[in-house]
Parts: sequence; structure tokens; C-alpha cells
Amino acid sequence: MKEKFARWDILFFQYLKRDWKKILIWILSLGLFSSGFVPFFNEMSEGEGLIAMYETLQNPAMIYMIGPTSINSAGDYTLGAMYAHEMLLFSSLFAMIISALHVVGHTRKEEDLGLTELVRSFQIGRQANSLATIVETILINGLLALLIGSVMISFDAYTITIEGSFLFGASIGMAGILGATIALIMAQIMSSSSGATGSTLGIIGLLYIIRAGTDVTNIEFSKANPLSWTYLTFPFTENDGSFLIYAAVFCLVMVIIAFTLEGARDMGSGYLPERAGRDHANQSLLSISGLFIRLNKNVMISWLVAFAIMGAAYGSIYGDMQGFLESNELIRQMFVSTGISVEVSFTSTIMMIMIILVSILPIAVVNKLFNEEVQLHLSQIFATKVTRSHLFWTSIGLSTLAGVIGILLASLSLAWTALSTMTQQSPLNLTSFIGAGLNAFPSVLFFIGLAALTLGWAPRWGKAIYVYLGYSFLLNYFGSILDLPKWVSRSALHSWVAHMPLDSFEIGSFTVILMISLCLILIGYSGYIRRDLLEGA
Amino acid sequence: MEKVVELSGVQKSFGKVRALKDVSFTVNAGEVVGFIGPNGAGKSTTIRTLLGIIKRDSGNATIFNMDVWKQSLDIHKRISYVPGDVSLWGNLTGGEIIDLFIKLHGNGNKAKRDNLIKRFELDPRKKAKSYSKGNRQKVGLIAALSVESDLYIFDEPTSGLDPLMEAVFQEEVARIKQAGKAILLSSHILSEVERLADKVVIIRNGEIVEIGTLDALRHLTRTTITIETEGDVAVMADLDGVHDFNQTDHHAIFSVDNAFINSILLVATKLGVRRFEAVPPTLEDLFMRHYEG
Repeated sequence: MKEKFARWDILFFQYLKRDWKKILIWILSLGLFSSGFVPFFNEMSEGEGLIAMYETLQNPAMIYMIGPTSINSAGDYTLGAMYAHEMLLFSSLFAMIISALHVVGHTRKEEDLGLTELVRSFQIGRQANSLATIVETILINGLLALLIGSVMISFDAYTITIEGSFLFGASIGMAGILGATIALIMAQIMSSSSGATGSTLGIIGLLYIIRAGTDVTNIEFSKANPLSWTYLTFPFTENDGSFLIYAAVFCLVMVIIAFTLEGARDMGSGYLPERAGRDHANQSLLSISGLFIRLNKNVMISWLVAFAIMGAAYGSIYGDMQGFLESNELIRQMFVSTGISVEVSFTSTIMMIMIILVSILPIAVVNKLFNEEVQLHLSQIFATKVTRSHLFWTSIGLSTLAGVIGILLASLSLAWTALSTMTQQSPLNLTSFIGAGLNAFPSVLFFIGLAALTLGWAPRWGKAIYVYLGYSFLLNYFGSILDLPKWVSRSALHSWVAHMPLDSFEIGSFTVILMISLCLILIGYSGYIRRDLLEGA
Repeated sequence: MEKVVELSGVQKSFGKVRALKDVSFTVNAGEVVGFIGPNGAGKSTTIRTLLGIIKRDSGNATIFNMDVWKQSLDIHKRISYVPGDVSLWGNLTGGEIIDLFIKLHGNGNKAKRDNLIKRFELDPRKKAKSYSKGNRQKVGLIAALSVESDLYIFDEPTSGLDPLMEAVFQEEVARIKQAGKAILLSSHILSEVERLADKVVIIRNGEIVEIGTLDALRHLTRTTITIETEGDVAVMADLDGVHDFNQTDHHAIFSVDNAFINSILLVATKLGVRRFEAVPPTLEDLFMRHYEG
């Protein structure tokens, strides 16, 4: 033991020193996001607010998206119940993802970069780094839990109890630790940091989708899902802490497995076998477009598969939704009075959410060009007759193609599953889905334009686009539940796009966004062909 | 002789840092120019300027009489470049990357490629992420040497290569020099520059401090003399042109300005020489003199 973990504490304190800014931002932003909306929800719950919200959230589609509640009748629904219902699953999901990225960053990433090799040459145990990282992540999530609990109590709101607040915080903290342990295992199995990150996010995504299904059909099955152990604690209502104990035991087992796996492998290798490659390149690789397709292949395939699964997952609840309407008089009245079918309304929201997620891939493809540049991969290519325009337009073209395929895959799989699960008549057909998807194409192109703009003029800001995309996502996801001022919702690009099939096609906004996007791309181009390439500078 | 590369008064700043203050030199056809200087002196910045990867602030820079920024594509058809740190795509094999580079450059020679792979002892079927630094360097070199070019730019080409592979590289450089090509060789390995270069350009803090053939540079400096005599060698300490005199019994080591060699020899013969060694300055001595003084 001593040999393996020798002087892990040195690394641990070193990490705290190195990461303190990141830790501060992490705890504050996630902590305040999770706990800070109490006054807002309090306002929403006044009058008939709680009952209306309860009925809305009984819709299987909503359970699918944000999770279940333990309350069985609208009369028992409280502020605390509503807060946990709407916020806990997503806060937990964020905590998991951030912790997972952090763990991969300190383990597999450092191994890839050759830092581990250096560190291990000192009197440091072989597994000290993993131990230091996991202890650091546990500490961070512990602090996060405490902060969330304290902030929530400080609002002194009715039904936001002390016990519930700390359980709420602890559930989110535990979610973070769960994410960290999954990441630690994948960091051993995969042979590169990108593989470890991708597979961890994939597992988290899969757990989310599985829980969506089991929450709607039979919540007993959700009890077997580690992601569900967070929100099944039902803070402020059941206050059932036993799920956190399962989670803690599960994490311990996972960590032991991870350490065993790590102890049995060589540094720099993984458990997935490496095959000998080709000694000559295929004809298909021998061009810039061939090269870029190859470089983006894994990212593109995994995202496209994810889009298809996502579409199918959302599509599969259309049937349940119709059944729910049949049985719930109040909600049916609501929809009948507005003259809108619930399927149409749901499709417009879901379509927009999927389009936002689809935008991630094209942004990643454009940003890849800059990544390649700073990693010096293109040094020898810049010295050939390949032009910068060629590199730029190949990236933009590939990115646009990925966007279009993403839109089609997501809307087709949504359409097929939706149409096949619906048992009653519906105003929707295949064309309305595809139309809604393609209608949002300019918004995808807009993000390609933003990426091109940063590529040309401020390449280090390429990642900031994801922040705006994430912002748009949150506004769209929660915009319908939260009652936001108009200017706030207008700040998300997607509020300018017609929400088909609910709205009808607007040629005006379609063309304007398309034109703006093309301009952004051209401005980015003019910067890219002029600027110094950032090679190790 | 035909001037292939010509730089005059090239300047480049990154923000407030003046990376290149005044860089001027030429490379002619059939000539190997050794480009030396300490880390951070501006070697790679100069090379990137030549490649049109970054844009100079002022001065003139041409290759084949074409502007390196405006006509970079026409230039690039006729040059080969190996960066100092060859960075490769981890999930492509060495063979695939070599083929890709050759294809993007054009004028490739397949037989030459296979031959070089054999001589450099590279396993082209391995994924690039498992290559050591030396093997990555080989990938860059094989790709650059398998194509026909008129100018070869090598930035620290042999860092990470073992001595056998260095020898292979040197043979290749000799071959392309024979064929009348121009070669710009930036290196830290002074013995290599000494062996290959016709002309040496020394850069320091973004300025060229010395240009000339190795012989000419040597004339500017001192020869190191080791001598053992019958009589008292101490008398030589006070002669004109003698520096750093160091004596142990009948044995002395000192350096002497080349202009005074004859007068030193005249004195020495009178002392009864048992052993005499004169070592011309190595490039390393030249280098140290420029950086210490």
C-alpha cells in the first residue's frame, strides 16, 4: 500500500494550490445555480401556481425531461417538493459532468501529456496521482454540498427545511463523486484522454436516457440506476438518505476496481487492444478533406449516434403523452382551450432542444482546425501548396455537412419513433418533423459562423461559443417552466427562430439568420487568411 | 551563385516582445547554411516567417525571388520543411502520415519513400501516438526527403535521433547538396553543422551577429595550443597574442590569436618541444564566445 500511494498528500496539496481558482468558480457557479432559484420558485408557487405546475409536470414528457416527484396529489405539492423536482436532476447531472472532466484531466490527460512520467520518476507512488485526484474531487463535492445546503437555508423559505436543504446539497455532491468514479474507471480502460472523456459522457448520457424511460414506465426500475440515486432521495418530502448510502458504497467499489485496473496496467496503455495499422495510406486519406474527415471521424460518429438515440428517446414518449392527456381532464382542458395539440407543442420545444444539441458537433469540427494548429500538427502542411482557404473552407464545409446530417438524423429518428408509438390520431406527420428540423438550419449555421469568426480573429475564444450555446439551451429547456422577462429569452438566438410546427414557417427570420451566418463565416475567413498562425507562440 | 533565400532587415514583434530585430542573410543554391543560436534567439520565428506562417512587420524576405507572404503557395511547391518538434496525429500510422504529406506536397517518389523507411528503420504500421520523439522526427524527415524540392528547411532535424540515424540524415543532406539544392539547417548540434555547413549564420536576441564560412569565422578566433617542452615553458606566457595561459610543470595550455602563431612557434623551438598540439576553434568555442561575451 505504502509503495503504491506514497506521498499522495504532496500531490493532493499541489492540486489544491494549482486548481484553487477553478475550484472556486466550480463551487460558486454550480452551487449558486443549484440553490439560488429559491426566491424565484417561491414567487412562482403563489396562488394556484403550485397546483398548475404539479399538473404540468405530471406529463410523461416532463417526467422524461426533468424527473419524477414523490407527491401523489396536487394538494400536497409544496415549494420544497417543486424545487427538488425541477432542479435536482439537472444540478446532479452538471455536478457529474464537471467532476468527470476534472478527473480525466488530472489522470489520463496528464498521462497523455507525459507529465505522469515525470512525476513518477520522483519518490511518488504509482497510484498516488489517482488517489490525490479522487480525494480532491470528493473534497470539492463536499464543499459544494455544504454551500448548496447553507444557501438554501439562508432564504428561510417555507418548506425549505434544514434537513431537506442539506440532503439536496448532499445528493448533488454525491452525483459529482459518482461522475468522478465513472471517469476514473474509464481513464484506466481507454487508451487516450479523449476516449476516456467521450466514454464517460456517453455512460452518463445513457444513464440519463435509461432513467427517463424507467421514470415514466416504472419508477422501481430507476432504483437500480446510479444517476437516479440522487433525485430519488426526494429532499423536502421523503428525505430518504438511504440512496446516498448505496451511492457511497457503489463509489467505493468503483474506486477499488479503478485502482485494481490501474495497478495492473502499464503507464500510457489502456485495456482496449491496439491493432497494427496500415503501412500505406488509403487513397481516401490523401487529401485535406480526407484528412479532416478522418480526424473528425470518431467525434462525428459518436455525436451522430447520440443524436439518433436522443431523437428516438424523445420520440418514444409521444404514446405515453397521449395516454396521459386522455386521463387528465384539467390538462386536456388547458390544451383544448388554446386550440393547440399537445404533440405539436411538445414537438416544437423538443425540436429546438435537439437542434441546440446538434449545433455542438459543427462547432467542434470548426474548432478542431485551431486545435490542430496549436498542437503543431499542421506545421508540415502549412509548408506545402495547400492554401489556408483550402483548410478553412474544408472545415466549414465538413462542419455544415455534419450539421445537416445531425438535423436529419435527429428529426427522422424523432419522427419515426413518435409516429410509431402514437396510437391516436395526431396532426403530425413525417414532413412536419423534417420541416421543423430544417427550419432550424440557419441557427446551426449561425453557430458555425460564430466558430468561424473566432477562428479568424480570436481563436482562443473558440470554446466560449459553447457557453452561449449552453445559455441558449437552458433558456429553451426551462423557458417554458420559468416565467422569464422577454428580453432575457430574446437573448438566446433560438427565440428568433420560428418554433415549428407550432409556429408556421417564417421566411423573413430564416433568411436573415442565414445571411448573418454567412457574413460571420466570410468575416472569419478574411481574418483566418491574414493572421499569424499560432504555432507554439 | 543563385540566391534562393534572401532576408534583409526582417523584423517581427509579438505584442511587446521583439522576437526579430534585424535578420538579414542569404542561402544560395548548392549551399548548406547552418543557422545557429540559443533557445529563444529567433531561429524558429525566422523559419516561420520564411514559410509564410507568420507575417513579418518590416524588411524583405524572398525565396526564389518571390515574397514569402504574398506568393507563399508558389514557393511552397518547391520547398520541403521539417519542423523542430514533429507533432503527429496520434491515431494515424506513420506510413499514412508520410503518404499524406507526400501527396499534399506533390512530386513524390514512392521507391525513395520505401527506401528511406528502411534506412531510417521506421515501423510505418505503428500509430503515431506510440512513436518516440526520434521516430516522429523520422516521419517528418522521410516525408520531406521523399519529394523533389529546390529548398530544404530543417529546424533541429536530428534532435532525438540516434547517431546511426544522424549519419543517414547527413548522407541525405550531402546528396541533395550535390544535386545543387539549397539547405537551411537550424541546429543545436554543432558538430553536425560543422560537418555539413558551408556557411554559418549566428543569431542572438533576434539579431544576426555573425555570418561567414566556417574557415573565415575561425580566422577571427584563437587556436588552442597544448605544449610540453624541455626548458621552462613559462616564458611563453608573456608573448604577444597569448591568452588564458595555464602551466603545470613543463606542460602548458593556452590560446593564441591566429595572427601570432608564427612568433609563438619561433619561441617554442628554442625550448625543445616534446609534444605540440594545435586545435582549431570548434564551432562550440565560436558559439560560446558569442553568447558569453
